[in-house]
Amino acid sequence: MTPALAVQDLAIDFQSRRGQVRAIDGATLSAAPGEVLGIVGESGSGKSTLGMAIGHLLGAGARRVSGDIRVDGRSIFALDEAGLRALRADELGYVFQDPMGALDPTRRIGLQIKAALGGMATRMGIASVLKDVGLADADRVARSYPHELSGGMAQRVCIGIAVARRPKVVIADEPTAALDASIKSQILDLLVRRCRATGAVLILLSHDLYAIRKCSDRVAVMYAGRLVETGWTAAVFARPAHPYTVMLLQSAIGRERSGGRVEPIPGAPPVLTGRCQACAFAPRCRWTEQACTAVRPEARCVADRDVICHRAESVMGAAR
Amino acid sequence: MSTGIRMPFHGEALARAATMALAMLIALSILGLTTSFFGSPTALGGPPLSAPTQGYPLGTDQLGRSLLPRILAGIRVTIVLSSFAVMIAAMVGSLLGILAAYLRGIVDEIVARLADLMFSFPAILLAILISAILRPGTPSAISAIIIVTLPIMIRIVRAATLAVAGQDFVIQAQIAGAGIGRILALHLLPNVAGAIVVQAAYSISFGMIIESGISFLGLGVQPPGASLGSLLHDGRLYLSVAPWLVFAPGFVLAITILSVNLVGDGLRRTIDPVLE
Repeated sequence: MTPALAVQDLAIDFQSRRGQVRAIDGATLSAAPGEVLGIVGESGSGKSTLGMAIGHLLGAGARRVSGDIRVDGRSIFALDEAGLRALRADELGYVFQDPMGALDPTRRIGLQIKAALGGMATRMGIASVLKDVGLADADRVARSYPHELSGGMAQRVCIGIAVARRPKVVIADEPTAALDASIKSQILDLLVRRCRATGAVLILLSHDLYAIRKCSDRVAVMYAGRLVETGWTAAVFARPAHPYTVMLLQSAIGRERSGGRVEPIPGAPPVLTGRCQACAFAPRCRWTEQACTAVRPEARCVADRDVICHRAESVMGAAR
Repeated sequence: MSTGIRMPFHGEALARAATMALAMLIALSILGLTTSFFGSPTALGGPPLSAPTQGYPLGTDQLGRSLLPRILAGIRVTIVLSSFAVMIAAMVGSLLGILAAYLRGIVDEIVARLADLMFSFPAILLAILISAILRPGTPSAISAIIIVTLPIMIRIVRAATLAVAGQDFVIQAQIAGAGIGRILALHLLPNVAGAIVVQAAYSISFGMIIESGISFLGLGVQPPGASLGSLLHDGRLYLSVAPWLVFAPGFVLAITILSVNLVGDGLRRTIDPVLE
């Protein structure tokens, strides 16, 4: 079966006035139709860049160094402008962090949904998009401007827009981070439900480990532009194979016991200027050995996991 | 959110007064143009340099032409010239500013440097230069206003677009399959239209100053036509014997420019209250 999304050894540089920065450093990833894939990692790990790269939506400063991205078997780098536009419209959906910023303040909701649906939009079609995301008063919402909606309603609209054309891949970048805490899980449930209903792969970019654990089938952990560990969500959470995953889980808020401490990961993620020649996590890692600072680890399969770590076996063994 | 129709410039007494003043000036000049109620702006034959009398409410000039209809004609010329020029500047400036801010890179670099270059000449000097090159007359006054107001328009629109173009809804439009034309026209333009309108109002008043300046120097509107600036030009020779020839058009010019500026302020406060 063709994966709905396949990222192969992708490397992306950003050219800025201060020099070159490697944002994605050999990311490999694939997602089967209908699955929910969570991508976790701290700020600056390259999650958002990866998400935008999938739609070929990175600005002029970004340059692909190597690798490929295939959406439904088609390389996005091989398409011309018209093909790319068609691919975005037909196969991709995005949900952003701030729903207010994702809706054009000068256009009514109905019109924006119509644009997302493409040429064949009818009033019924628009209403059904809104009803499917739990907005019962579809006519009123369709007539509204974005500022007339609450944040939660606006994010529902955005989810509706993202899945309107039944895309193959939906990319959600921190879809609940800007929302009121009381509706976060509702909106996340809705997003997952709509993606499963339309058969879209959901790529959920987040640093909310609990959200990821709750709703993703598989999880990929991103660090310094690479996906350092990928596996079934339950397995990764139970027995992490990469030191970064271990420390990420330990630092998660909500897991602490009474009287215990939340352990932050010491240090900060590196800013790469080119291909990392060793393990990017080595300076912050407690399992570091000589090979870690000398040899760039490659992806390998350890037990049920794809992991990029020289010491994955020991790390996995250490977990209870 | 209120959806009812609101009076323009709600709570803006000055802007309202200015709008009324402007409307009155325009109405008067239209009356002067379409009826002979105020007399003809070009008819000779009155007593030369007459002080205001019953037959000539604002006096006459050195050729015996009644000043009032000439001022009314001048208002029209000044407003129409400036507005027409600014309309062109606004269209070109909006297109360039939006394109530059959206595309960034080399296009942005070229447009921004071009605007800087145009900016670096003193406005009046540039206007005189253009008039001198193009031969004095109305077209050169229009060109001068366009060239002088264009860089400001480009900068304002570019800055406004930069703030908008980074928002996710532009990406959302791309994802919906929109091409550059659609994004520019349907998403970016409406979101910066407020800034364009406000800047256009200021540009019109600036344009009037430029036009008056050029015409005062004798490089703009040529006789027997009249603009407020050319009336000042004609009247300055007789300042000591017939001061009304300078005071009346000068006063009207000041009121017109002040009104346009106040309308611009009101527009800005109405459209973008954050700036206050």
